Amino acid sequence: MLISCDHIERENRLIYEKPATAKRVVLLEDFTGQRCVNCPKGTEVIEQLIAEYGDTAVVAVGIHGGPLGFSGNDTTTGLATEVGDEYYQHWNLEYQPVGLVNRHHPVNYPEWAAAVKEELGKPAPINLQVSAVINNSIIYIHVDALGTEGLTNGMLQIWILEDGIRAMQMMPDGSSNPDYIHHHVFRKAVNGTWGEETTIKEGEKYSWEFSQAADPEWNTSKLSIVAFVYNDNGVQQVSKTKIIQ
Amino acid sequence: MCCCLAGTAQEQQGITFSGSIQSDMLIPQDDEDTGATKERDFLTNTYADLLLQSKHVDAGLRFEYMEHPLPGFEKDFAGWGVPNFWIKGRLGKKVELTAGTFYEQFGSGFVLRTYEERSMGIDNSLLGARIVLKPVEGVTLKALSGKQRCYWSWNKALISGADAEVSLDDFFSFLQNYHTHLIVGASWVNKYDDSDEKAYVTPSYRVNFPQFVNAWDVRASLNHGPWSLLAEYAQKGPDPAFLNGYNFRKGSAAMLSGSYSKKGLSVLLQVKRSENMSFKSTYDISKAVGTSSTINYLPPFTQDQTYELATLYPYATQVASGEWAYQAELGYNFKSKTPLGGKYGMLVKVNFSHIHGINRQFYDSTDDVFAMTDGYSSLFFKWGDGTYFQNLDITVTRKLSKDFKLNLMYMNQHYNMTVVEGGGGMVHSNIFIADGKYQISRKTTIRGELQYLATKDDLKDWIYGMLELSLVPHWMITVADLYNIGDTHIHYYQGLVTCNFGQHRIQAGYVRTKVGYSCAGGVCRWIPATKGFTISYNYNF
Repeated sequence: MLISCDHIERENRLIYEKPATAKRVVLLEDFTGQRCVNCPKGTEVIEQLIAEYGDTAVVAVGIHGGPLGFSGNDTTTGLATEVGDEYYQHWNLEYQPVGLVNRHHPVNYPEWAAAVKEELGKPAPINLQVSAVINNSIIYIHVDALGTEGLTNGMLQIWILEDGIRAMQMMPDGSSNPDYIHHHVFRKAVNGTWGEETTIKEGEKYSWEFSQAADPEWNTSKLSIVAFVYNDNGVQQVSKTKIIQ
Repeated sequence: MCCCLAGTAQEQQGITFSGSIQSDMLIPQDDEDTGATKERDFLTNTYADLLLQSKHVDAGLRFEYMEHPLPGFEKDFAGWGVPNFWIKGRLGKKVELTAGTFYEQFGSGFVLRTYEERSMGIDNSLLGARIVLKPVEGVTLKALSGKQRCYWSWNKALISGADAEVSLDDFFSFLQNYHTHLIVGASWVNKYDDSDEKAYVTPSYRVNFPQFVNAWDVRASLNHGPWSLLAEYAQKGPDPAFLNGYNFRKGSAAMLSGSYSKKGLSVLLQVKRSENMSFKSTYDISKAVGTSSTINYLPPFTQDQTYELATLYPYATQVASGEWAYQAELGYNFKSKTPLGGKYGMLVKVNFSHIHGINRQFYDSTDDVFAMTDGYSSLFFKWGDGTYFQNLDITVTRKLSKDFKLNLMYMNQHYNMTVVEGGGGMVHSNIFIADGKYQISRKTTIRGELQYLATKDDLKDWIYGMLELSLVPHWMITVADLYNIGDTHIHYYQGLVTCNFGQHRIQAGYVRTKVGYSCAGGVCRWIPATKGFTISYNYNF
């Protein structure tokens, strides 16, 4: 036993697992920071997950904040927000990168794939659909929901994300990359930091309308909207859409 | 206090009861300038050790209260209870059996070292059993098995091991005739972990963690008169983990240490190469990334510093990625009544240490996910990417008069902040320290330190001053200030009063401390800025 265990054949080092069949959409909140050298590794995992399942099944949100977040200065763009800091504190997180997969508990990035796979296989009690258009720098958001299983009490949360932001990022080798491209960056909580209360009954349809002025610093062609319903049992369903110009 | 319940302690015929209490307390305050925050009104790390000893059986326990601990410890550190409890039986001088929690070290600790270091929040004791046999003079055999403490629980992995050490001079008279001591030793450690941790390298491939990980160590220590030589080599089997990027490459550590010590002269030369030697008793990332759950220990090849500015940029041993480490030290005592020694003599010490990365060529896993499990290739003697740390310090200690002693130190330091802290580049600094101690009267001494750190990097220059008045046997008063001249212009001050009465020692004061690393034995922890009233109480009985 002792000798045989000191060499493990290559083919025995990894276990192949068939990807999950998505029964619902999963929300992956990536608590990240521009001064966090390991955070690009978390981003790589997100890219792999989206390549595997598609961004309609896995909705990733990069929440900049916490101790390694950067708020910016006169010369360098910062992506951290006060709301991001509040989320980091609220979830009692200790380091970055770390994620919440459907808001169950903190998960380290090498374990995101397992958590996402597990969540994808769970049925959701609601269907959720979000759409958005922008007109004269005002973003108009429409959300539809249909209860499909029992009664869901929770909070409806609407977020604005931005892709393709060129900004500084500390890299795993300790260097600073001023031209790093950040995707799915959390920009704004449209209906408050923790959303608004909602009750969704099986078989019934619901609709909501929101509007939000676009910040001049945002590139509106790269914005998207994420809508999700969550409660103490985690995120119940998620929907994401690009904003129609 | 020694409470003899039966018989006398000296003869160990009865039972002796002893113990100690250590309580460090902080009443924190918010401080906008430093970023110190007050999350609670009162924080404390409190320990109480109790020990019962008798001729054949010892027993002990430790109560710890860290429900609201001092700042800078990991979240899981918080809690309270009796995590350490043990009973030890002896049969003559040949057999010793311990059950419960215990600490152990094999050799230099390359494959096993469990220990407690309170300032770092480290207690990686094992809960299980250990037997120590000394069947004949010069032979020590150890065997143990247990689960490792991880704050307020024990990790699931079972750690087992054995160690044998033989003093050959007890068996070969020619060694004794030449006044030569030769000790050889060998160790083996096994980690058995069947926990169901799941770590993915891609969404479709997860790591197949081995249930068993073996590590072994061989060593020889030769001592002849003023000469000493220690050679040690250890190897660890495939142990994929978060810290090594889930590679299945073997780990290794090799060390050669030689010294010469004669009255007035000491020389030390050491070299060590280690790679991929992070050895943890859990695959759970949240536990493994901190200071807990560490099975082994790699001794640091950097001088332990005590002066404030000399510890500003402390080095943490790079256990997972590996390092080449070199250290040389020369100490010479110029005798009194010589031109350089003066009336009272002079001690000069020069220490040089250099830590360098090892050569690593990572395999490309773009098209073959299994390639990443090989990790990298490495040429043993070739250096890798850059200096991690370098330190040259020269210390001169001289008594200038019957009442005044002066200690001067110059230090040149290169600190790779990127490697140790994750970013910041190389910090080059020159540090100048003067430490003078003046005996005012038989019971009154005053000591002062003046230190200056010059650097163009990080936060630029620092200055530190300290005055300490000792009124033996009871009182000591200390005031100090650390000031950043370069960037922040913040004062970090402290005023402390210490009193000793019998077995009681109390220190109280007001402090403002900076954010930064605190290190002990090459292991570091991040400490946030603090401000507030501090009280420290120690009692031995």
